[in-house]
Amino acid sequence: MLVLKVLGAGPLHGYAIAQRIHALSSEELKVEEGSLYPALQKLLVKGWVRASWSISGSGRRVRLYRLTSDGRKQLDHEIARYERMARGISALLEA
Amino acid sequence: MPRIGEWARRVWFLLTRRKRERELREEIEAHRAAMGEPLRFGNSLRIREEAMDSWGGRWIDAIFRDIRFSVRMMARMPLLTAVIVVSLGIGIGANTAIFSGFEELILDPIPGVDGSSRYLLIEPVTASGDYAGGASFPEYVDMREALASFRDLAAFRMVQVNVAGPGRTERIFAVLVSENYFSTLELSPSAGRLDFPADASGDAGVVISHSYGEREFGEATAAVGRIIEVNGRSVPIAGVTPKDFRGTVSGLAFDLWIPSALSGAIFPDSDETRNRSARGYSVVGRLDEGIPRGRAQEDLDRLMARLSSDFPSSNDGHTARILSFWRAPRGGGQFVLPGMALLQAVMIALLLAVCGNTANLLLGRAMSREREMGIRMANGAGRWHILRLLMVESLLFGIVGAAIGALLASGAAHALSNVRFSTLLPVRFDPAVDGLGLLFSAGLGVASALVFGMVPALHLAREGTLGIRTRSRREPHRARRALITAEAALAVSVLMAAGLFLDSFRQTLDTDPGFEPAGMLLASYDVSGSDFGQTLAPESGRNLLGSFTARLLEGLKSLPEVEAVGIAAFVPLDIHGLPMTRVRVEGYAPADPDGDLALTNVVTPGYFEAMGIPLVDGRDFSPLEDTTSPLEVIVNEEFARRFLSSNPAPGQIVVSGEERLRVVGVSGDSVYRSFSEPVMPFVYYSYRDRMRRAGQIHVRTRPGTESLLAPRVEQVVRGLDPTLPLFDVRTMIEHVETNQFLRRIPAQMFVVLGPLLLLLAAIGIYSVVAYSVSGRRSDIAVRLALGAKPDSLTRGIVAECFSAVGVGMAVGWMVVVVIYDHLSGGTYEPAVFVGVPATMAAVSIAAAWIPARKAMRVELPRLLNDD
Repeated sequence: MLVLKVLGAGPLHGYAIAQRIHALSSEELKVEEGSLYPALQKLLVKGWVRASWSISGSGRRVRLYRLTSDGRKQLDHEIARYERMARGISALLEA
Repeated sequence: MPRIGEWARRVWFLLTRRKRERELREEIEAHRAAMGEPLRFGNSLRIREEAMDSWGGRWIDAIFRDIRFSVRMMARMPLLTAVIVVSLGIGIGANTAIFSGFEELILDPIPGVDGSSRYLLIEPVTASGDYAGGASFPEYVDMREALASFRDLAAFRMVQVNVAGPGRTERIFAVLVSENYFSTLELSPSAGRLDFPADASGDAGVVISHSYGEREFGEATAAVGRIIEVNGRSVPIAGVTPKDFRGTVSGLAFDLWIPSALSGAIFPDSDETRNRSARGYSVVGRLDEGIPRGRAQEDLDRLMARLSSDFPSSNDGHTARILSFWRAPRGGGQFVLPGMALLQAVMIALLLAVCGNTANLLLGRAMSREREMGIRMANGAGRWHILRLLMVESLLFGIVGAAIGALLASGAAHALSNVRFSTLLPVRFDPAVDGLGLLFSAGLGVASALVFGMVPALHLAREGTLGIRTRSRREPHRARRALITAEAALAVSVLMAAGLFLDSFRQTLDTDPGFEPAGMLLASYDVSGSDFGQTLAPESGRNLLGSFTARLLEGLKSLPEVEAVGIAAFVPLDIHGLPMTRVRVEGYAPADPDGDLALTNVVTPGYFEAMGIPLVDGRDFSPLEDTTSPLEVIVNEEFARRFLSSNPAPGQIVVSGEERLRVVGVSGDSVYRSFSEPVMPFVYYSYRDRMRRAGQIHVRTRPGTESLLAPRVEQVVRGLDPTLPLFDVRTMIEHVETNQFLRRIPAQMFVVLGPLLLLLAAIGIYSVVAYSVSGRRSDIAVRLALGAKPDSLTRGIVAECFSAVGVGMAVGWMVVVVIYDHLSGGTYEPAVFVGVPATMAAVSIAAAWIPARKAMRVELPRLLNDD
């Protein structure tokens, strides 16, 4: 879900995704590369992201991931589910 | 929908795996380079592996790997692979061939007609429950009117006519049909029209087959409108059937269809379109959509009840049955189906024996792979993985075997369709391995793989680790003994069945037919088709016919090469069989109050000499011209034995129907309807007393020169009447061989399959013993060193193996005896019932003895070093 969200703004390559998640989460979340790449492959297989090779600003060859329309729908689903879950947990903790 | 896309992507990713792995590696390297602390990056290989795992469906990949591995394994043991795959191919092929035959007979009984299995027949049944021999034409017309549940009903009847085409005159089998025959079958012509015009005007034409059109006119379309002569009557060709259509009698192929409107013109003596007692028509049709057969049967029952009371002389007590087309009582199907069913059962047993043998061979190999499997398991391969690998192997064997089997069956079917089955009837049997047949082969391949693959797979998957060996020694041993027993039981059954088929064929070769086939030529004639025949009035014609027949005999006898000649109504060993009659002998009480049954034939003087049948008492018939002596018969020895208590026959009076006939001679017994039939009493009538328009000429000449006589015989006939065609000219040897064809085919199959099966069983036993003995080498070596005699050890091993084989053989033998007794209750040929088991026992012992003996040569010191 996190990867999908981060890609919502635009295509990124793997390192940039990890950086962005770290930055946007107020440095709370750190995605290890051991979990990032398997996750990216899973998103690819499910058809929620598409990947293509390109040249980065610093001239390196990088693989860019972008969100597909199915991926956008999936992101909405997962956010909705997460919010439901969070509400449920809050309700429980306040009870 | 997303699921399908996901699966497609999974497969695509797997197929392009190598490229993706490279890309991932590059990507991860770039990530690592971009990181400030490259050393903190995890194990690249593991990340890659895990990333690719998240594709899911790795098992597809695993299967591909298994397949590649299996293929390599199979290539490394070419001999074993060849034995397994070829033996499976033969087993599956034999089954597929017979299945295709069934498929053709039942699912596609009318080639050329779509959905022909939907067509049904209506067969009248007499009060006593027997088939009445077909419907009469008026009866058919009633059925057509009364049975609304059928879309339409057509009638057809097989007839023989003389046809004079542009090229020649010949006698062919044609079909007399109702006018709506082709429309009921929903056939479109390949040329001209197939709908016979409704009125019997002079313009009514006939329909010919596509192949006849091509044969006689060069091209089917050229035939339309041409005139041919049928039984002397000129008729135009109205249309040509589609290429594949050969008629509606299973197993026969026709060339001519005649509308019933023309039956009066072509068969002037016949009143069949009006006569309710003239039966012989088959009634065929399709039910309307959604109408159950039961309703049609009810309507039919009502109709037959009405006819029974309205027309008691022809229909008293008659009912009728609606049958699936393949059940036609007068079709080729009934002739071959029981034999085919038996063959199929035997072939399935053969396949099972092959499976058992394959399981044994694979189990033997499995034991040598225990180490390999142990290593795999130690490296983390689960039991499921091992099982999957072995099942993939087995399935691979099965599929390749099925492919070979389909090829073999196809080849066999092709060879079968080229065989000329009968010189008399237009028999055609054209099974082909089509899609359903291929599916059947594949199914058998998979099923066989499951059967023989289970055993070694389970054994190996049960294996714990490398170390435990003593336990494993016993378990596969039990399994292998069980397999050997099963295989022995199946093998002995199949071999005995093969022996019985071969024996039945041998009987047809060895049995003295009681007449001399060599040197005889046969030819048929029928004056009805000639100008002379057309002019014959039914009553006064008898004398003219008599003198014609007498002149024919004279003319033939005068040929210098002819040693003897006779004419008969029927030839023995013919598919049509011989007519039977009930007679009484004056002065003797018949065993059956209705009269004693005897086979009959009508013959001229000279017949017995021509056939080479001795006259053991009395004399031959009086000459045809002799009109003074009383009615005569000649009986055979069996008749005299049974009905005259062996008192001298000449002089006795036989009563047949209204006639009293005098026995003038006794003939030797001979083969009449089939080789295996026990001798029946026989009564020969004389042509003089029962003159006929048609006959079969029998001439005897020097053996080897029969066929040369054909043109001379034709000359004589033409000399008497140029419009009289001579047909079905063949030698007696050819005629007899035709009769044997039904037994010849399975016999030929088994001549090949039998020894192969025996060889397979031997290989199986050899491998079992070789393997079990190699595992016990240390044991044997120790015993030898301690002073045991090699001979007694060998005997022990062989005896142990033979006990398993022996039990299997005993079971199989008993099963065959029970089935044989139930089916035929024939004689127990010692060659089969003793010879086959004995041969198999000998082969088994030899197959066990050889490896056992080889094992005795083991040397102790070398052995101890081995492990």
